[in-house]
Amino acid sequence: MICRPALSRGSQLALRRQGAAKLAQRGFAAVASPKSSFEPTTIAGVKVASRDDNGPTTRLAVVAKAGTRYEPLPGLTVGLEEFAFKNTNKRSALRITRETELLGGQLQAYHTREALVLQASFLREDLPYFTELLAEVLSETRYTTHEYHEEVQNVIHLKQAKVDTAAVALDAAHSVAFHSGLGAPLYPTPNTPISSYLNEHSVASFAEAAYTKANIAVVADGASEAGLSKWIEPFFQSVPAQSESAVSASASKYFGGEQRIASPGRNSLVIAFPGAALNAANSAEIAVLVGLLGGESTIKWSPGFSLLSNVAASAPGAVAKAANYAYSDAGLLTIQVNGPAAAVRKAAEEAVKALKGLAEGGVPQENLVKAIARAKYNVLSGAEASGVGLVQTGTNLVHGAQIVKAAEAVKALEGVTADKIKAAAKTLLEGKASVAAVGDLHVLPYATDLGLKV
Amino acid sequence: MSAAGPSLIEFVAKRPWLKKALTPLASWYGNAAGYRQLGLRADDLIPEDNERNLQALSRLPPKEAYDRIYRIRRATQLSLQQKILPRNEWTKPEEDTPYLSPIIERLAAEEKERDQLDTLGVLKKH
Repeated sequence: MICRPALSRGSQLALRRQGAAKLAQRGFAAVASPKSSFEPTTIAGVKVASRDDNGPTTRLAVVAKAGTRYEPLPGLTVGLEEFAFKNTNKRSALRITRETELLGGQLQAYHTREALVLQASFLREDLPYFTELLAEVLSETRYTTHEYHEEVQNVIHLKQAKVDTAAVALDAAHSVAFHSGLGAPLYPTPNTPISSYLNEHSVASFAEAAYTKANIAVVADGASEAGLSKWIEPFFQSVPAQSESAVSASASKYFGGEQRIASPGRNSLVIAFPGAALNAANSAEIAVLVGLLGGESTIKWSPGFSLLSNVAASAPGAVAKAANYAYSDAGLLTIQVNGPAAAVRKAAEEAVKALKGLAEGGVPQENLVKAIARAKYNVLSGAEASGVGLVQTGTNLVHGAQIVKAAEAVKALEGVTADKIKAAAKTLLEGKASVAAVGDLHVLPYATDLGLKV
Repeated sequence: MSAAGPSLIEFVAKRPWLKKALTPLASWYGNAAGYRQLGLRADDLIPEDNERNLQALSRLPPKEAYDRIYRIRRATQLSLQQKILPRNEWTKPEEDTPYLSPIIERLAAEEKERDQLDTLGVLKKH
C-alpha cells in the first residue's frame, strides 16, 4: 500500500477522478432495485433457488435434508457438520481454508432441526471456484479416522460444553412435544450418549444417504441464473442422483407433556403449544400472536406494547420471549422465560395469565395494529436478511414445498382480525401444552401450577 | 528421503531393469539384516524420536499399534536372552509390509503443503 503523501499531486488527482468515475458509473437504478424473492429452478437434476440483486457479493448454500430430525443415530448431523470442508480426495482441508482465505471468502457449516447447511460467502466473480468446492465437499470428502479423532471429536466436545440452559429447555420442550424426529436435541449435551453411535464410518454412511441430488437444494443469493446453470451442471455431476439408503422420517405428531431437569446455575422455563408449520394455513394468526406476545422491546427506555415484555418488567431479572419454530410439517409456538428462579416463576405465571386474558378478553385494536406491523417487519426482514432467507428457502425446496413469497405472507397478515387472535389463543389453551423447566426445580413451577393442560 | 532415512528406492523403482537386478540382492539383505529372525517388520525399526513419527504412531489403527508393541517387546526379550525365534515364527518376506511409512509420508506431504502455503508469494498482474 502506498501512503497518500507519497503520491504526487497529479496522481492524487487521478486517483480522485477514478473514484468519482466509479461513483458515476454506479447509477441510481441499481441501488434502488429491491431484493426480489427466490426463484426456483432445476439445473441438471439439482433443485436450485436463486435471486440476484446485482450486488458485489454472493452467498451460495447447499441445504441438505440432514438436520437432527433426519439423523438415523444421535449425533450424526453434528458429525457431518464438523466434517464439512475437511480433506477431500482432491485437496486437503488446509488448502481449502487457505484458498478461500486468498479469495476473501467465508465457509460455514451449520444445522437446524431439519436442514444441514453448507454455506460459502464470496465475491461475485468467484462463483465457479465455490460451486466446485461445495460439490467436492458433498461427493469427495474422505471422512478419515485421524481427522475424526484429532479435530471433529474435539470441536464437538467444545461445542457441547457451550450448550446452555436455555437451549436445553428448548430441546426438552421439543422432545416432549414431538418425541422422536423433531424432538431430537439440536445439539447433543455432554450427557447425551453419542460416543457409541458417532464415528467416521457412521458419518460417512450418513453422508452417502444425505448428500444426493434428491436430498439437497442449492440456494444462491446474489448470483446470476446464467452463471449458476453454467457451473452447477459440470461440478454437481459427481453428486449421486439418489442413494439406496435414503434418509427417512415419519410425519411429525404433537404429543405434549412436561419435563423437568435439575441444573445448577441458570434457570429456564419453556411453555410451548402447537404452532404453525411452514406454509400452514394458520401461519398468519400465529405470526401476529407471536408479534403480540413479543418479548423484546423494540423501543428504548420502555417495555413497549408486547405482553411478554410487560410481564418481564413486572418480574425484575426475567427475560421472556415468544417465538414460532416452523418446520415442514409441524410448528411449535414457544414462550421462553430465562433468569433467576423466582423471577422466572413469577414471569411464567404472569405470561400464562396474559395468554388467558387474550383468549377471554381479546386484544385491543391498537395493540393488534402494532402486532401486525411487527409481524410484517419480521417476515420482510427475515426474507431480506441473507442467512434466514437462505435456510428457509432451502428447507422449503428439499421438502418439495412452495417457497414462501414475502408479499403474499404480508397480505395474509393484514387479514388477521382480533376475533381470529382470540380464537387462536383459545385453541392453544384448550390443547395440550409442552412445558420444560430447567434449573432450580424447588422454585420453578409445574405446568398444573401455571394452569396449563399437559 | 523416506521414513527410515535417505533412500535410493525411487531412483531404482523408475528403472525396471535395475529393479529386477537388485531385487534378489534386496531380499538377501532383508533376510541378512536379522530383524526378521526376531519377528520384527522393517517399519518397526523406524525411530520414534521425532514429532512427525509420534504423530504417525498415534494415527495407527488400535490393532496395528497393539501388534507393533507386541513385536517390539518380544524382540527386546529375545535380544536380552541372546536368542532368535524358531524358524517357523520368523517374519516372512510377504508379511514384511510397510504399515507406518505411508502414514509418515502423508504427514510429510501435509507439512510440505503447509510450508508452501505459508510462504506464498504475491504476483502482481499489473
